[in-house]
This record gives sequence, C-alpha cells and structure tokens, in this order.
Amino acid sequence: MSGGDELDEIQAIFFEECAEGLATAEAGLSAMASGDTSSDVIAGVFRAVHSIKGGSGAFGHGALQAFSHRFENVLDEVRAGHIAASADVTRIMLNAFDILSDHVAFAQTGGSAPEDAAMLEQLDAVLAAKGAPAAEPAAECAPAPAADADEFGFTPVMAVIEEFDPFGFEPVTVDLEDLTATELRGWTVRFGPSRAALANGGEPMLVIRELEDMGGTVTHVDTSRLPGLRDLDPEDGYLVWTVGLPASVEEQAIRDCFDFVAPDSLIEIGRDEAGASEPAAVDMPVTVAVSAEPERPALTLVADNVPAAPVAEKPRAEAPAQTIRVDLGKLDQLLNLVGELVIRGSILSDRLSPADQERVELPELSRLTRQIQDNVMSLRAQPIRHAFSRVPRMLRDLMGETGKQVLLETTGEMTEVDKGVIEKIGDPLTHMIRNAVDHGIESTEERIAAGKSAEGTIRLSAEQKGARIIVRVADDGRGINRERVRAKAVERGIIASDAQLSDEEIDGLICAPGFSTAESISNISGRGVGMDVVRSNVEALGGRLEIHSVPGQGTTFSMALPLTLAILDGMIVRLGKQRFVLPLANVIETVQPAPGQVRATSPTSEVIELRGNYLPVRRIGEMFGLPCGNQPEDCLVIIVESEVAGHVGLMVDTIDNRREVVIKSLEDNLHPIRGLGGATVLGDGSIALILDIDALVVPASSKFALKGMAA
Amino acid sequence: MSKTQETEGEERKIVTFTLGKQMFGIDMRALIEIREWEEPTPLPGVPNYLKGVTNLRGSVVPVVGLAERLGWAPSVLHSRSCILVVAIGERQAGFLVDEVADIVAIDGADIQPAPDVEVSEQSAIAGLVRIERRTSDAGEAETMVLLLDLDALSLTRQVMELAA
Repeated sequence: MSGGDELDEIQAIFFEECAEGLATAEAGLSAMASGDTSSDVIAGVFRAVHSIKGGSGAFGHGALQAFSHRFENVLDEVRAGHIAASADVTRIMLNAFDILSDHVAFAQTGGSAPEDAAMLEQLDAVLAAKGAPAAEPAAECAPAPAADADEFGFTPVMAVIEEFDPFGFEPVTVDLEDLTATELRGWTVRFGPSRAALANGGEPMLVIRELEDMGGTVTHVDTSRLPGLRDLDPEDGYLVWTVGLPASVEEQAIRDCFDFVAPDSLIEIGRDEAGASEPAAVDMPVTVAVSAEPERPALTLVADNVPAAPVAEKPRAEAPAQTIRVDLGKLDQLLNLVGELVIRGSILSDRLSPADQERVELPELSRLTRQIQDNVMSLRAQPIRHAFSRVPRMLRDLMGETGKQVLLETTGEMTEVDKGVIEKIGDPLTHMIRNAVDHGIESTEERIAAGKSAEGTIRLSAEQKGARIIVRVADDGRGINRERVRAKAVERGIIASDAQLSDEEIDGLICAPGFSTAESISNISGRGVGMDVVRSNVEALGGRLEIHSVPGQGTTFSMALPLTLAILDGMIVRLGKQRFVLPLANVIETVQPAPGQVRATSPTSEVIELRGNYLPVRRIGEMFGLPCGNQPEDCLVIIVESEVAGHVGLMVDTIDNRREVVIKSLEDNLHPIRGLGGATVLGDGSIALILDIDALVVPASSKFALKGMAA
Repeated sequence: MSKTQETEGEERKIVTFTLGKQMFGIDMRALIEIREWEEPTPLPGVPNYLKGVTNLRGSVVPVVGLAERLGWAPSVLHSRSCILVVAIGERQAGFLVDEVADIVAIDGADIQPAPDVEVSEQSAIAGLVRIERRTSDAGEAETMVLLLDLDALSLTRQVMELAA
C-alpha cells in the first residue's frame, strides 16, 4: 500500500522532470531554429529527451518511451554531426517535440494517445537521409510504434538491442521464434551497492527481489570484502551479489532495476559465458558508471551504448547547476519568519537610542536581516520565461488550425516574478494569445490586401514597473471592431441599446461574461469564456487588465500584476488615526498647499494648482469612509503618478516616514479589496493597509459602472 | 463537512462562548487561539460585521463581529471581550465574542439538527446540544448551546455571494 504511494510520489517527480526536460528541449530547439546549432545546444536537447526516455521506461510508459527513443535516435545523429541541423530538420524536430509533449501529457493524465505515426515516419526519413547504413536497421527493424509491438509481448526496446552492435551483436530481427532458435545465453548481473547507495536509502534487497521477480536467482554472494566484526561499518556496502537471469529477459528490463541505485555502485550486466558460441564481446561486461545525478540515472548508460559516442565513459560535458526541490509552503513559512524578524528588528530600533543601537550592533543586524530577506525573496522569484515557454508551442498549433502566419517576439522574459504569480498567469496568457490569433490577426490574404506583411506579429513582453509587473500581449491585427462589439453587447443584453460608451468602455465589453463576437464558434476561442476568464483571473490576483486597440493596427492587452510577497518601498502616511502605505514608486512629490491652492470644482471634487497646472485631488480618507474635516492647508497633498489617470494629488493628514515593508496579501485569509494592494505589519505590530494607487484614482464613472453593467 | 463525518456516540470537545444571552459552541479542533480584544485595522468597502484585520504572528487575519454576522445586535465591548481565532479550511479568521465560557465534551449523538424555523440566510447553526453548566447559577443546571457551522461563516463564500 505504502509502496503505491511511494511510486506515485516518484512518478510525480518524474513528471516534474519531464516538464523541465521539455522546457530545456524547447529552449534548445528554438535556439536551433534561430540558427544556434552549436554542439552545446544540440547536446542539451539530446540530454533532455534522453532523460525523458529513461524515466518513461522505468515507469512503464511504453508509448512515451518508444517515441522519445526514436526522437533521440535522430538527435543523437545530429549531435554526432551525421545529420546536419538544417532548417528542415530543426522544423521536423520541433514538430516531434510537440508530439513528445503530447506523449508526456498522455502518460501523465491519460486520454487518447497522441497520433505519432506520421511524425515517426518523418523522423525515420531524416535518419534515412543520413545515408549511413548503420542507422538503417533501426528504422527497418522497428517500423511500427512500440505501442503495437506491445501486443506481441515485447517491451518496446528492440532498438536498444540494435545499439549493441559495437559489442558484437548481430542486428537481430526480433521475432520470438528467432530468439528461441538462436542459442541464447543467460544473463549474469553483478551488483555491489556502494556506501552512497546505502546512505541514500537504497535497499539492495529491493533490487535483488526485482531481479528475482524476473526469474533471477542469486548464484553467489561475494563476501571477500567483508571485514571483521570489529572493523565493520554498518553503513558501508561490502557485499557483491551475482544474480543469474534467464536469457529471455530484456537487457533494458535489467537495467531498469538499477535506475534508482545511487552513484558509484558496482553494476555489471553481461551475457553468460556458458554455451557461448558468439564472439568475445559476449562476456564483456557492460560496466555502468551510474550518473552522479540520481534524477538522470540512465544517461551515462546510453552514452555507453550509443555507437556514435566516441568514448564510452565520457562524462557529461557540463554539470548543470545543482538544485534541490523544496516545498513551496516551506519557503512561504521561511519568508514569514524573516518578515517577523524584520518587524522585531524595527521594534528594537524604535526602542533603542541611536547610541545604544550602535552599541549592540543593531545596524549590522539589520543589514544581515535585510540580506536574508532578499535571499529568501529571490528563492521564490523565477523568470517569467517559465510562463512564456508554452506560448511558442501553442502558436504553432494555432497556426496549423487557422492557417494564419504569426511571428512571436518576446521581450523581458528574464523579468523575475514570484512563483505564485507565474503559476497563475498561464491561463490568462493562453486565452490572450488565442484571442489574438483568432480574432486579432487577419488571414494572410486580408493582411496583404490591407498592405501589411503576410505574417502577423504577436509581441509578448514583460517588465517590472514599481511594485507591479506588466505583461503585454500585442498583436498587429485588425483591432477591435467597436461597432460590432457594441451591437453584440446590446444583443446579448449586456448594455442598454442607448448606452453612451467611450471607446475604452466598448473595448472593455469583450471581457464581459457571456460575450463573444466570433460569428462561428471556432475550436480556438469564441466560446465566450475566454476574455471573461482572463479578467477574473487577473483581478483575482489583485491585478488589472487593460485593453488598448487601434482599428487596423492591432490590439494590446496589458496585465498589471502585483509582485506578491515582495518588499515594497513605501511612504507611511496618516489619515485620521489610521496609517497607510503609499508605494514610493508612484510618488512624484509632496506639496504643502498654500491657502487657496486647492479649490473645489464641484461639491465632491477638488483640484490643486501646481505651477500653472490643475491636477485633480482626492481625499483618500473620504474614499475609505474616514472623514477628514481638515482644511486643505492643514493637510499634505502627495502627487502620485498612476497608469490610468496620469498625475493625481492624494490628500493625507501627515507623512510618518519612509520604509520598506513586507507585503502581506489580504487574500490569504480574506479576499482582495478594491483600492488596496495588501497590508503590512509595522514596527509596533499594528497593521497598515497598502494603497493601490491605480485602483484609487480611477475616475469613479468608468470601471465601476462597467462592472455594474456587466453583472 | 465535519459535521456529516461525525459518527454516533463520538465524543467531541467544543468551546462555548456567549453572545448576548445566547450560548454558542464551536468545534475545539478549529480553534487556534483566544486573544484579548484589540481594535483591528478597519478596512474600506466591506460589510459592517467585518471589523478589520489584525496581525496574528505575521499573518493578516480578518476580525468578524460574530454577533452582527449572525444577525444579533452588535457586541458591546467590555473587559472580557475576546477574539476566537479559528481555522476555516485553509484560512484563518478571528471572531469577536462576548465571553468565552468553557470547554466541554459532548456526545455526537446528542446533537440535534437545527430546526428549520428560521430560513434566514445568515443562519450558520449546525445543531443544538444541551450541556451541563459547571459554573451554574443555582437555578439553571443545563443550558442549550448553538453549534456553529464554521464553513457557513467563511468570509470568501460570503463575499462571492455578495459579488454574484
């Protein structure tokens, strides 16, 4: 029972690694597509596909293993320079990559197995084009996808036998009769777990049982290295087992048993000498130096087997940076604790005189605390590339479905965002891209007729602006057809037929629930859920979605998302008894109004005259139901810059100080509140609310009203 | 959810407290801590019963005026007013109550379902149970406790309903 759970856990790790492998492979293939065919890049792709293959075999995902194996064959030849990484070959490999992703998804979630026969043919054609006969048998001998082969009781490893060529095996036509007809020798496996294997919790008995389950018997245990009892280190490995296995067992199946055996264990697999009529290679043991990284156990294995590899034990060219997996919850907890530490630190500094602070080295302590905090923050931050990486694949699919030609330009993909945000922008991003291809970009004919380039362009960009990250999806398509959107909204009962709407408001309608302008419901978008979902997802993250469209020139969707869990450089202001945090990034200047500088333009609105310009002034207190009866002269006006309304003055009572605050999200225990970007804990342990300038300064009419209409 | 899982005869511990003259109870397992009342930081644009947020060891936790939330007159603050911090699913919330009374063990089988007399949406009563009063006035040895359904008090849920 518990075994099943463990297996599930290991499977989950395998799929995580698959996802990483796929991302690496895609990045490499994309680099190849844009002309970088250096050996490092190709080797990177090969390794990624290879480790997917290795794991899939271990977990019995036959179809995935078979496909990745064939893909790997091609990659291997490319890596060895036998096949040139031409544009055509790269394109085929990109398509093969897509099928590989489908295979991984199929192995993970089930559903219908991807259609890969055509792709396999293409891959085989690439292999065949190489012209070297050595690779031919692979293609001929195993033309059918291994999933079929399974029905005949073979595990899909025929091609592995092929790879044994250099060790003297004839290319075997795998046919059961043949196998039995040929006199086959049994296997001898020697296994001596290392100290590291035991330290990693590897249980040799499990491996041996697994071998026994395949019909193996332990023929000998070498105890020669066993020291006397006094010198015995119970944590070291001294024994070497010799296990005999029947000839019918596949070599790969034996190797699979050792997949999770830790580094530097002794593992020798060889055919028995007994009854050998074949060449010397028979008893040549394949010594396997298991890769130093437990998560890619199979790698060196194949490096040994691959005919083209010049040196069998060649170590991996580059050791990737070492990483460990950490539960996100632990990171959050760590961050919270560090936040507490910062707060305690500021309480301490509030209570100590400057001289005492120096005496107890408080400044040094604060500096260290700040560094710890920065480090913890950076642990959660990831480049937004992780969210962008699925876009190219999606675009290829969309191009295939719609016949439109689209170029993707990506900028700012290294912008670092909190992992939580990255996970949540995937869906909105997908919808935005689909929407852009489906509704934004015109067909090739239309584009040419409109005097545009035949290929449409989608620009995907990310940038950090203050405490927010702005993700934009811009297309150069036809723009939003406002008349049609309006007509549709009236027809759907979303707005009244006589409603007076600005262009922006009409654009906003496409995000209204139940709105869809697609005349025929396509496979891609047009089900009327897309943009609605985008807006609600973005708002649930505490962000905003903005749409900017120019007819004939294209549409830009901007998501402004908070960098949650970030530290904010803030100005602490007072309104009545309450303290609030204004993000310093938005603050332009602070004005102490002279009498008459602030004037009312209506009973509810005021302006401030600043060097000849009039800027709107808002009393935040009143917006929050904290009446402030003060005269403007007794208040301060903070001029802030907002995305939506330009420069606006905010009236506050006083300014306390400026400090870095840890953003605590309100959603953890509550829900997002309009006008607030979160909360923070101040030095005295009390809570100050963080103001979301953009939401505060939005003219009360537009967005609120639109929301009302939509609902 | 928790209430449906209770099997007959299972002993449960509840924390009892008063709101006005009523005695209420919540499942002991949901209780995180009891703190003294301190004025929370008020929030803009939220229902009246949501008193604000407070700092619970670094996390920002909403404080709910439970009496108002359940449709009674707001609690009058006094020296024994306190905040029950409870876990509702993954989230935490603080409830302002008049006075914490006791921790009592009850038998799951003794819980009676709340009669459907009040169809008020604000009702969050999962059941009724009679308990003996340890600190009894001579006259009243038994009293009725209204068991709260914490899931029904979830703030997110309430807000979703308001938004819809």
